[in-house]
Amino acid sequence: MVSSISHYLNRFKDCLHIDQNIKDGVAEELYTHLEEKTQELEENGLSKEEAGKIAVQSLGSPELIAQQIYETHAQGSWKEALFSASPHLLVALLFTSYYWQNIVYVSIILASTVGIAIYGWHRGKPVWLFPWLGYYLMPVVITGILLLSLPQGWGWIAALIYIPLALFVFIHIVRQTARRDWLYASLMLAPMLVTFTWFSSLGTGNELLASDWIARLQTNALWIVISFVALAGATIAFIRLKPRRYKILSLLVPPLIILLSVTMASRGNINSWGWLILFFSLSAFAIPVWMQARAYQ
Amino acid sequence: MNYGRELLKGNTDSLLLCLISRRPTYGYQIVKELEKRSNGYFQFKEGTLYPALHRLERDNLISGKWQILPNGQQRRYYYITERGQQVLANRLATWQDFSTAVKAVMQTETT
Repeated sequence: MVSSISHYLNRFKDCLHIDQNIKDGVAEELYTHLEEKTQELEENGLSKEEAGKIAVQSLGSPELIAQQIYETHAQGSWKEALFSASPHLLVALLFTSYYWQNIVYVSIILASTVGIAIYGWHRGKPVWLFPWLGYYLMPVVITGILLLSLPQGWGWIAALIYIPLALFVFIHIVRQTARRDWLYASLMLAPMLVTFTWFSSLGTGNELLASDWIARLQTNALWIVISFVALAGATIAFIRLKPRRYKILSLLVPPLIILLSVTMASRGNINSWGWLILFFSLSAFAIPVWMQARAYQ
Repeated sequence: MNYGRELLKGNTDSLLLCLISRRPTYGYQIVKELEKRSNGYFQFKEGTLYPALHRLERDNLISGKWQILPNGQQRRYYYITERGQQVLANRLATWQDFSTAVKAVMQTETT
């Protein structure tokens, strides 16, 4: 039989989405508190079971404590917020300055992104890491898509070797992130949503990419910049806001802005590939938020 | 909301800082001490103490360290930091001024 103390601590841990080390520390603190209270009540003549129940009652709602602890630890500093938003701003800057076609600048940014993401991953996964991680994963996914467009069946052979490896990396990172917090998974997948949504607007007819896709990208540069700036704003809000429900709301704003800007830029002229990519991108973004909303009910 | 509860909520951090400044202490002991020193006046859901302690620690006013007792049990003791002492001194001074002013006004009202 699960004791009332274990049950209480499990409920507490289930609804607290913060760094695992901090979570374990607070749970241990509550456990020692409950143990001491139980011991004292037992010395006053109560049975172990009764003492445990009273100890748990006097501590109050585990959901409320988890919420208050979350609000204490979930708010990042302004420095963290700006650093989290900086990859989005960098991409926006690339499009504003037309440097996105310059392989040297793009390579420098990619190399920095990979370095920062690996550094953060091995340094306890701080909150600023997740947007960087999103950009780190992007080349992994894009390479897989591009392999499919290799000529005469080579694409499928290359993809068969590459895709399982890429999927392994992708799933591992998403799982690890979601285990810590579903919302971080959404924050991480956000740059992919923007990129793939824009990608989706560049196809024509049944082609994944139109032959003049570079020119089309150039024409839509302003809308693309707006999308990434919106994402940067949402990221800053996400890091700085304390209540979880506001964080969820901040994550729902960019998809709406992006969807609107893509529709405006393409005047609703998106091909079937585009709709497919758009659907998967929006799902990848919305599912973690939906999972969280379900957990609240 | 209950006026007394509101007052306690507004002063929880100062009360905790004051207790921790006397000697390093841990969660359960803080609850007992608050109850004892206030002759049972301060009674609250014990769980609300931990978010307050973590908030104070985040603001660098106290620091927590795990200690293992001779019986193998672990406890997280909280220590006041230098910044915490400064904040406490300021709050105590403000509180003294405030309570003196309130008392002066209230006494005038009742006499």
